[in-house]
Amino acid sequence: MKQRSHASLLAWGTLILVAGVLLPLAVRQYQLAILTEIIIFALFAVSYNLLLGYAGLLSFGHAMFFGTGAYTVAIVINHIPSLSFFGAVILSLSVTTITGLVVGSFLLRHKGTPFALLTLAFNALFYAIATKWHSITGGDDGLSIFRPDINIGFAQLSTSSIPAFYYITFIIIGLVMLFSWYFTRTAMGQTVLLMRENEERMKFLGYNTNVSRLILFVFTGFLAGLAGIFYALFFQFTSITAISIDMSTIVLLMVIIGGTGSFVGPIIGACVYIYLQDFLSDITDRWPFIMGLIFIFMILYVPKGLSGLIYSLIERLRGRRHLSRKVEIAE
Amino acid sequence: MGKKALFYVAVLSAFIATLICAPICRAADPIKLGACEPLSGTFKDIGDRYLEGVQYAAKVINEQGGLLGRKVEVIPIDTELKPDVATRKATKLILKDNVKYFCGGTGSSVGGAMSVLAEKNNALMLSYGMAAASLTGAKCSRNFFRACLNTDTQSYALAMWVAKSGYTKVLGIVQDYSFGHEAMAAFIKKVKELNPSVNIVGELYHKAGEKDFAPYISQIINSGAEVVWTPNWGNDLTLLIKQGKNLGMKAKIASYYLNDEYLIESVGDDSAIIGNVTAESYMLTIPTEKNKEFIQGFYKDKGYYPSWLRGKAYTATMFWAEAVKKAGKDDVEAVIKAWEGLTYEGPAGTYYMRPCDHQAQVPVWVAEMVKESKFFKHAFVGVPNMIAAKDIEITCEETGCKMK
Repeated sequence: MKQRSHASLLAWGTLILVAGVLLPLAVRQYQLAILTEIIIFALFAVSYNLLLGYAGLLSFGHAMFFGTGAYTVAIVINHIPSLSFFGAVILSLSVTTITGLVVGSFLLRHKGTPFALLTLAFNALFYAIATKWHSITGGDDGLSIFRPDINIGFAQLSTSSIPAFYYITFIIIGLVMLFSWYFTRTAMGQTVLLMRENEERMKFLGYNTNVSRLILFVFTGFLAGLAGIFYALFFQFTSITAISIDMSTIVLLMVIIGGTGSFVGPIIGACVYIYLQDFLSDITDRWPFIMGLIFIFMILYVPKGLSGLIYSLIERLRGRRHLSRKVEIAE
Repeated sequence: MGKKALFYVAVLSAFIATLICAPICRAADPIKLGACEPLSGTFKDIGDRYLEGVQYAAKVINEQGGLLGRKVEVIPIDTELKPDVATRKATKLILKDNVKYFCGGTGSSVGGAMSVLAEKNNALMLSYGMAAASLTGAKCSRNFFRACLNTDTQSYALAMWVAKSGYTKVLGIVQDYSFGHEAMAAFIKKVKELNPSVNIVGELYHKAGEKDFAPYISQIINSGAEVVWTPNWGNDLTLLIKQGKNLGMKAKIASYYLNDEYLIESVGDDSAIIGNVTAESYMLTIPTEKNKEFIQGFYKDKGYYPSWLRGKAYTATMFWAEAVKKAGKDDVEAVIKAWEGLTYEGPAGTYYMRPCDHQAQVPVWVAEMVKESKFFKHAFVGVPNMIAAKDIEITCEETGCKMK
């Protein structure tokens, strides 16, 4: 059984890898740009779901990490012209991780409503800093950047074209996403799940749940920060939108659409959200209104999200097959 | 010849015809101009009016035979006044529809982001209202052109009026972002230069979209200012005037944007308007023949007047069209070269595109708000005086622009 599961995973992995590598040859530049955006937001949504879906922590401030990543990479690229692509990414990731550690240390003892409100307050604080610290963040004007090229010693790889940046995003974020999936399978990942179900019991068993929560918070901050870094590098621009409550709402919407119950749910959510946004904004300027309606509909009628819907359909089909096989055997 | 052979000949002919026709057909494609404006939200009325000006200019151009024998198509882009939204939508148009020309009038933050985007994608961005001087100063770009006044020149014009009118106590109030800060710095610099006896009794910064001006108005009253100078626009100007009147503010207002019938209507009290002073690159009352022709044509077409933003957007778009005509081809690099040093005679006088920073040198019109107007039933701008472009000129060296 386990072997079958591994084979299935390997098949899916190979399929995604082959599709990801071959897609730029088959689609137009614009579609590729949309795909790059989906990958970036998929990571952001996955990071958010580790908090909401796995740990049961509703955060209204996840954009603070996304925005910190986006702003830091823009600032370091603009102020340190000799900085390499990976140098900028690593430096920005360090800042985001430290931010996660500092903010997390204030939040580790809280859950439920106080946690949600505190994350909202922290996001508002970060937003105010981005708006008011004009000399560094550009305030309302935002920051424009030019993507640095990748220098690998013997060769220089240009990141300016859309296909080149797509491949970089696909490889780096793909690997990080794979690690995030692995994280959910580790003892630490399982601890988070158990904490959600019965924290008191975990404490009795000798676990320090506060430390576990802090580790998770820092890890999700790291992931959201990386998504923010790639967001800024992709658009070559960052503004207060990246660190606003709106951005926290967007990622919540993605996760709700995709479903919190599985690892792939947020990825599906990000995909649907970005495509819907692209499609609807061509039709009407009031597209956020339609998104709002979808959000209400999903909460009321599809609480497990699209991934839940897909899983239940698969289960139903399997059940029918299983049943028909049983009938055949009986006959 | 068999039926099958005939079929293959027909398919081959169609293929060859397509190959031959493709470049010709493409040549007949319209020249697309993406208009980046806030078309929803608080500043929708501003964006709508700019867009009307651009669309009317496109209509006039098309009626005159188009540009290089092709129609001009205006594609509205709702920026929501957010630079990230503007660049995202513009990128889509560049990648999907091969749009090379963009224009916009609202939000210097949008202008800055669009300027960089245009440079990265070899496109051209034309502004007729994004007024932060830095856009053609420290942040200037080969791909960004501005065919209107900027914070420096517009502030200078009002500073000249203050310096000449003999007022000595002046207070400045601005929105707290790059546009407001740059406008304030330029005004103070010029007014001190022209008349050192003018005392700046206060510099107030409030957030854009402020709802309660009472604390600021009490500071204005307490300062004893005779003139309140402001580059505020939209609701921030309406509320400043309205709440100022209600709270007993007596100071005269010298503003960039009083030349706005929507604002005057929403203030709803002519006594709060009359006597104030405004300076702009376009107003309905400009006494030139070209302006009369423009107003007549627009009124005939739409049934209302091309006031303020419509006139600014129209003039700038016509100026861009002249550059495309001069270039003789739909090529951004050629249009940039053609536009540099080009002169255009429009409704508001003579525009000259300065090559060193792509800031058009345009005359500024200064007028006092009067009770009677032939355009509206309420108070409106009187007949303005022109200040020549050279009198408010900032030299290329002073702008800080280092064009690549």
